[in-house]
Amino acid sequence: MKLLATTTRYYLLLTAGLFMVASVLLYLGLDWALRSEVEEQLVNRELYLRALVARGRPLPATPFAYQLDRRPRPRALGFSDTLLLDPLEQEMVPYRELTFQLRPGDPAGALEWITLRKSLVETEDVLGVVLGVMLGVLALLLAGVVTLNRWLARRVWKPFQHTLAALRAYDLHRHQPLGLPTPAIEEFAELNQALNQLSQRLVADYESLREFTENAAHETQTPLAIIQAKLEQLLQAPVLQEDEQLTTLLSDALGGTQRLSRLHQSLTLLTRLENHQFAPTQAVPVYLDQVLRDRVALLEPLLEARQLTLTLHADLPLPPLTLHPGLADSLLQNLLHNAIKHNHPGGRVDVLLNRRMLEISNTGPALSVDPAQFFERFRKHNAASDSPGLGLSIAQHICSYYGFGIEYAYAQAGTRHTLRVQFC
Amino acid sequence: MKLLLVEDEASLRRTLVDALRQGGYVVEVAADFAQAYEKIKLYQYDAVLVDLTLPDGDGLDLVRALKSDGSAAGVLVITARDGLDDRVQGLDLGADDYLVKPFHLSELNARLRALLRRRQFGGQHHIVFRDLLVWPEQKEVLVKGEPLILTRKEYDLLLYLLANPGRVLTKEAVAEHLCGDQVDAADSFDFIYSHMKNLRKKLQEKGADDYIRTLYGVGYKLSTD
Repeated sequence: MKLLATTTRYYLLLTAGLFMVASVLLYLGLDWALRSEVEEQLVNRELYLRALVARGRPLPATPFAYQLDRRPRPRALGFSDTLLLDPLEQEMVPYRELTFQLRPGDPAGALEWITLRKSLVETEDVLGVVLGVMLGVLALLLAGVVTLNRWLARRVWKPFQHTLAALRAYDLHRHQPLGLPTPAIEEFAELNQALNQLSQRLVADYESLREFTENAAHETQTPLAIIQAKLEQLLQAPVLQEDEQLTTLLSDALGGTQRLSRLHQSLTLLTRLENHQFAPTQAVPVYLDQVLRDRVALLEPLLEARQLTLTLHADLPLPPLTLHPGLADSLLQNLLHNAIKHNHPGGRVDVLLNRRMLEISNTGPALSVDPAQFFERFRKHNAASDSPGLGLSIAQHICSYYGFGIEYAYAQAGTRHTLRVQFC
Repeated sequence: MKLLLVEDEASLRRTLVDALRQGGYVVEVAADFAQAYEKIKLYQYDAVLVDLTLPDGDGLDLVRALKSDGSAAGVLVITARDGLDDRVQGLDLGADDYLVKPFHLSELNARLRALLRRRQFGGQHHIVFRDLLVWPEQKEVLVKGEPLILTRKEYDLLLYLLANPGRVLTKEAVAEHLCGDQVDAADSFDFIYSHMKNLRKKLQEKGADDYIRTLYGVGYKLSTD
């Protein structure tokens, strides 16, 4: 619901309530005032008639019999309401009547009960008018509020809509702060100012992160390269080669350096993917079947060593995908390597590639971890493994970078693990 | 063979120079862009090894300069930047090969050998090692004049050993060379072992000396004595 509609709703509820209370009060007030007025007139007439009688005059005859009723029998004294038939309009009309005792004629004459009447019909008309006017004003007010809000929504909220549109279109990777204008309305001006500051901070943070990632790659790999080269040179020393313990020490140190370097490269790649730091200009048409064949050829010794059978089905010809060649290679390499690593000796790896998807399925022991955590970083299936467990996380990041879907499925029959990449 | 090594990191430069000289090359060094630029303008090299990140310039500009001069030198790019980008750009500019830091010295040797073979002799070059004769272009191996039939990986392995005579090659280096980068150390040793075993068996069947030494737990070495 829109903000304006919400406020208007409460406003309308309040207005309608107030109008109802006001109408009731006005009705009661007017009713009371009109009745008092009628009663006062009736009392005045009574006094007038008593004065006439006191001076010995006869009661005047009125042209309308219902206005003055004389009865010889007793009646209830004081004010009361009654309905009389209006012969003209053929409807019952409410009257207020005042009954009192009087001895017209001479003071010793017979007692008569005089009833004076006055029509109340005007008061009902007045009430009708009052209610009509009140309801009319209420309706006008409601229509006015709705119209005003529409106009406000268009005019006053324009800067807000503009801000919203600017935020929706905002892309951090353009390295530009938002640069929103300062509208005349204070609240919107403050909002825009806060958003501008926020985006400036974002751009600065993003920039420093990007620089850090770039520098980290260089600054860390260089010392690692030095350590590795020195250790390798040290390994060449003839003195060392005769001492098995020393060469093993050295070889372990070398292995550690390589693991660290590989871990670092993987993390840097993940960070760059998360920050979208691969220029779109570097993307070229890539034929995945070709990359796949190259990768499989490279991994052949590993397949052989584990006596794995790899089948590759590609629905040729395949249209090229526009990808960064390094990322395409990394994606396939990680998926293939995963299928080889988590296989059992003599197992199978089946690769299926068509226009819509790439499917790599492999035999292998059942998973001990929750498949939902499959793509998490540092998720190892075997705690003793040297691998940092980043391969699938990298594959997933590359997929999401290009908007590909990636999913994992496990079939109990044949203990088959399947990773499927959906291109569209 | 005369090489120019462009590397700003003094410590790494010394080690690389040592390793390259042990491999029989004449090595000149440049520590920054300006020195390197001057040297490639003044002298001819068989190969130039360029580190891309230099304090006073971009190594890619050196590659550009070499190519625009029509230099015959092979260019091997060494990069510590995230390999994925420079790989593409360096090769686009005409570099012959690339290595991402950190790399194995034995891998550097192998790449350099292959590069020089392609550049200098148009592939018409043979490698002689004791009773072995290898024609890399034809992928032909002769033991005492007798042809030796090898699988592709066994042949790659042999060539890798021949590029590093007398050097200790770690299992990791061999695995990476055969399977591309990022092979997990944990699962790569058994296959090297079996390939190496097959290669030695085939060599011995042809009556070759057993010059491949195993350093238990560490790696292998092509013995020169």
